[in-house]
Amino acid sequence: MADSNLPKPSSSVKLVLLGEAAVGKSSLVLRFVNNDFQENKEPTIGAAFLTQKCNLPTRTIKFEIWDTAGQERFASLAPMYYRNAQAALVVYDLTKPTSLIKAKHWVAELQRQASPGIVIALVGNKLDLTSDGAGDAADGSGEDGGEDSGDARKISTEEAKGYAEEEGLLFFETSAKTGYNVTEVFTAIANAIPETSLKTARGPGASHAAGRTEEQRVNLNGPRDAEAKDSCAC
Amino acid sequence: MESLSDTLWDVVISGTGLQQSLLALALSRSGKKILHIDPNEFYGGPEAAFSIQEADAWVARVSASSDGGIFKSASFARPEEAITGLSASRGYSLALAPQFIHARSALLSQLVSSRAYRQVEFLAVGSFYIFKPSQDAGQKPSLTRIPSTREEVFSTTAVSAKAKRSLMKFLKFVLDYENSPHLETWQPFAEAPLVDLLQSSFKMDTELQTYIVTLTLSLDGKIRTKDGLAVIRRHLSSMGVYGPGFAAIYPKWGGLSEIAQVSCRAGAVGGAVYMLGTGIEETEIVTGEGEGEGEIKLRLTSGDTVKTRKLVRVDERPSGRVGISRVTAVIGSPLKSLFEATMEGAPRPAVSVIAFPAGSISTVAGKASEYPVYLSAHSSETGECPVGQSVVYLTTLTNPNAQEILNNALVGFISATSDAEPSPVLYRLQYEQLAGSDKSHIEGSVFNLPAPSASLSFDDTTLESVREAWAMVMGDDAGGAEYMVFEDREGAAEEDDGYE
Ligand SMILES: Nc1nc2c(ncn2[C@@H]2O[C@H](COP(=O)(O)OP(=O)(O)OP(=O)(O)O)[C@@H](O)[C@H]2O)c(=O)[nH]1
Ligand SMILES: [Mg+2]
Repeated sequence: MADSNLPKPSSSVKLVLLGEAAVGKSSLVLRFVNNDFQENKEPTIGAAFLTQKCNLPTRTIKFEIWDTAGQERFASLAPMYYRNAQAALVVYDLTKPTSLIKAKHWVAELQRQASPGIVIALVGNKLDLTSDGAGDAADGSGEDGGEDSGDARKISTEEAKGYAEEEGLLFFETSAKTGYNVTEVFTAIANAIPETSLKTARGPGASHAAGRTEEQRVNLNGPRDAEAKDSCAC
Repeated sequence: MESLSDTLWDVVISGTGLQQSLLALALSRSGKKILHIDPNEFYGGPEAAFSIQEADAWVARVSASSDGGIFKSASFARPEEAITGLSASRGYSLALAPQFIHARSALLSQLVSSRAYRQVEFLAVGSFYIFKPSQDAGQKPSLTRIPSTREEVFSTTAVSAKAKRSLMKFLKFVLDYENSPHLETWQPFAEAPLVDLLQSSFKMDTELQTYIVTLTLSLDGKIRTKDGLAVIRRHLSSMGVYGPGFAAIYPKWGGLSEIAQVSCRAGAVGGAVYMLGTGIEETEIVTGEGEGEGEIKLRLTSGDTVKTRKLVRVDERPSGRVGISRVTAVIGSPLKSLFEATMEGAPRPAVSVIAFPAGSISTVAGKASEYPVYLSAHSSETGECPVGQSVVYLTTLTNPNAQEILNNALVGFISATSDAEPSPVLYRLQYEQLAGSDKSHIEGSVFNLPAPSASLSFDDTTLESVREAWAMVMGDDAGGAEYMVFEDREGAAEEDDGYE
């Protein structure tokens, strides 16, 4: 349709991933950004910054993703990532009970310290290791599905979901390995961000939208080094 | 994982103020082993930005310690209106360093070349105004916008036709002031106050002189001709660099605090280890011949002892120079008229600046202000307060009346910008910032950065000492390395650079 050629309004959303080491934060990002998975992903040092667009029917959301290191030793890094973040993805490994405890700590810290109105999603990862496998919506996956049955699940859907509901969090079970539910998490977050808290649009597509809404953000990549913009090799 | 004390660090950076953070950014791809610590529980040091609760806590700390570093006489007030008007504490981000950045500042080119700019949102700084006190009791004080481009000089109704001509002549002069024949005009005045030149060579009246001096943001109002011309030229040539109608920009979410945080994030991505709430208790330089000579042993407040080749910190000892006094106030009104775009296609500004010339404010006892007062008004777009409110930062050089003058300037400002009822002040923070050393100095393996600058717009000389510190840490590796020039890390580029 001719309409689809018109750029949609675009906004950026700062998102931070938090959670215990090795729960699969970087793998979720890798799946979302590159649609890829690595069996032996190395632990994140410090943090990593990535961006990815998410197309909604009426607007484009550009995620500015901060993937933090679960191993962080001095609990000093996270504060600088969740400051001003509009969304947080708190990840646990549903085969590892301690990781949910850690996730709850993060949720509490976010509720205490982050911007009021931050959208938080609780994500139980590694669903492929449970008997619901890639998650064909198998019900009644109890806590005690033994290892022998090929079900390594240690945290039931009910438990985590109940907690998420109490705290007003979005809730998903995912597999970064199979890709199950990964895009859904980000789309749900994009939809949950209140329109009013969206940052001013920017980028080339944004200038059209700016004809109507007033453009406030100043683009440093403008006149000064415009040529750098088109020179990406990928 | 290696423990803190088993590692021989290449550098320990103490403090996460702007300078140390920029150093962390500069070193973020160097492969050096970096331990970055801060005795505070927050990032940004003297450039931090606070929620209301954090500001209260900061005041308590500054007041409690005999050695509050460069800050003293801090206090806060919540007038009665605040009980209903003030929003949740975390809805605020009050900046200790609300400096704006001129478009031609080297800081911006460094943020672009280092790719750190991608994570900062910049907003336009709009108009400059002059405060005019009320002439008689029945009249309100007023704000007059300073025309600062040729177009504005043409269209302004604020000055007479004669004044317009001399202003135009002056603007043309400044744009080319370093060349003949202009050079010969001002050189005899180089070390004299700028007003002398304006008076004798441009025949400007006092009012017009005030307009010009205001554009220099000179804290004592006595800027020398040499410096004043450079600052005004910078202002004029910064106009339009990033879009029409503005010469300076402001980082959203608390000014330089945001630049410091973004720089630390880059440091962390590069592998630096971060510890908040950790200061240095004791510094011991390893002396004697042979291995380890010149290394530094640090005992940290966390109880750890670490070894490092270099230490970078800020020299926070107060100097004899005059510091600044500041009042930061949350106003329960959006102050809309201050944040309107003045030009077709210009972004809506989030900051405007009001100058109160020396003498325009007085104390109850009738003493007129000795120095100008500058007020930066920030709209809620800065993320520093909720929608419907604004934050104003007032600054003047410290003298015995400074706090009273600042508070009276605030009252005058509110009166000039309110229609009927005066806009309520919901929160007020006030403090003094002492002037520290203005030069870096090296003691063996220790690099002491100067104290933060008190100027109202970002002072590029700050960048020089950061670069010197970088060169010292890099040692022989500095030779081949380009300063602050990095590629985007994988996945971090703009989506329009390729990904879809
Ligand atoms: N089976 C399975 N393995 C996964 C999944 N997601 C991640 N992994 C594996 O779990 C390990 C850790 O994954 P990462 O993505 O590095 O975890 P992280 O949370 O980023 O870890 P830190 O960076 O150390 O905090 C890797 O070996 C991944 O391959 C998943 O959904 N299923
Ligand atoms: Mg990781």
